Amino acid sequence: MGQKEGLKLIHFHQVEKHYGHFHVLKNIELTVEEGEVVVVVGPSGSGKSTMLRCINRLETITSGELTVNGIQVNDRKVDINQVRRNIGMVFQHFNLYPHMKVIDNITLAPVKVLGTSKQEAADTAMYYLEKVGIADKAKAYPSQLSGGQQQRVAIARGLAMKPKIMLFDEPTSALDPEMVGEVLDVMKALAREGMTMVVVTHEMGFAREVADRVVFMDQGQILEESVPEEFFGNPQEERLKTFLGRLLSH
Amino acid sequence: MNTIYASLLGLAGSFILGTIIAVFRITGSKPLNWFGTAYVEFFRNIPLLLVVFLFYLGLPSLGVTLNGFVSGTMGLAVYTSSFIAEAIRAGIMAVPPGQTEAARSSGLSYVQTMIHVILPQAIKLVIPPLSNQFINLVKNSSILSIVAGFDLMYYGDVIATDTFDTINTYLFVAMFYLILTLPLSYGSRVLERKLARHD
Repeated sequence: MGQKEGLKLIHFHQVEKHYGHFHVLKNIELTVEEGEVVVVVGPSGSGKSTMLRCINRLETITSGELTVNGIQVNDRKVDINQVRRNIGMVFQHFNLYPHMKVIDNITLAPVKVLGTSKQEAADTAMYYLEKVGIADKAKAYPSQLSGGQQQRVAIARGLAMKPKIMLFDEPTSALDPEMVGEVLDVMKALAREGMTMVVVTHEMGFAREVADRVVFMDQGQILEESVPEEFFGNPQEERLKTFLGRLLSH
Repeated sequence: MNTIYASLLGLAGSFILGTIIAVFRITGSKPLNWFGTAYVEFFRNIPLLLVVFLFYLGLPSLGVTLNGFVSGTMGLAVYTSSFIAEAIRAGIMAVPPGQTEAARSSGLSYVQTMIHVILPQAIKLVIPPLSNQFINLVKNSSILSIVAGFDLMYYGDVIATDTFDTINTYLFVAMFYLILTLPLSYGSRVLERKLARHD
């Protein structure tokens, strides 16, 4: 699997982040090109979710450079809402709006942020609901859906903004085991269509099958970054070997 | 009739004011935080009677003269809004932060996030304390009688002094207040049940 030649959509350069005295991200160097699927793995507390959340400025960086689509995300002059409309995000706990029907969850941002007409937004929403396989739940409330269905709605909600990048923050970690597959299938389909994705996950099968590159983080650092065959077949870093070893022994 | 008007206006006014102040108290802006806190601590810690006097007697010295009904209703709304602000603030804090993150990450502004995502959920959580405040507001509207607001209590006083049948008159007045407040209690219970349906 060769590197795709494309536009640098996300670029971390010497990025550092501190929470008070806690050094969360250390000298992060990472580039994600258009159409790439980058999967980030690592033990809990390694900073992988924090790194992901920096991309749409849910977290701010302390120093260094972080550009998304050529724009300095941490520049105070940048209209962050403008940047964010190009970045879809899917959370561990879905974060659907419980007071709105599924369809309204999906149309809210297109109508309010992009100024799309209600009808057009509803049509787009139905298109993506169809795609994630739950068009029949459009009029349901989130609480009436299973976890897997809720997460698929969340993915449709992200896609409805027609973003350039989709971020996934442990999208299957809060799901019952039998529902993990349905969410991963949607993500795989998305990857095949060429969506640029950064995925923080513990699903090694997904990383192996879908990722263009796999990134290993531990204690705030990127320790290894390679194509899946290399990553799983011939890991270099001692800590990655231990990490993979622990996973396989289960 | 003025009691009903004062209550409705006070209800709407205190709700809107209270919501705005609640949002002020939780925004990232220090001046707005400060203003919100000062507002709440000032108006909820002085007697309603004095707040109403402030509008009835205080504003004329600034060149604004209002009649008893208007100044009474304003005082009522401002006083009640300080309590409502606290209730709504508690509600906003109770909405999971993931809701804000989801909304903001989709490109919605802070204000849009508040209006469409956070406040609808927050208000649902605080319907019981809010309905308490609204019932208090209706009863407190009797303060208008003191500043010639021509409300229920005012006419109660007039009739009581005219007829000397004080106890019966005031019982009658109390009954009218009950007619106004009981539906409010009932309505809030219905609303609570209706909104809880999707949780």
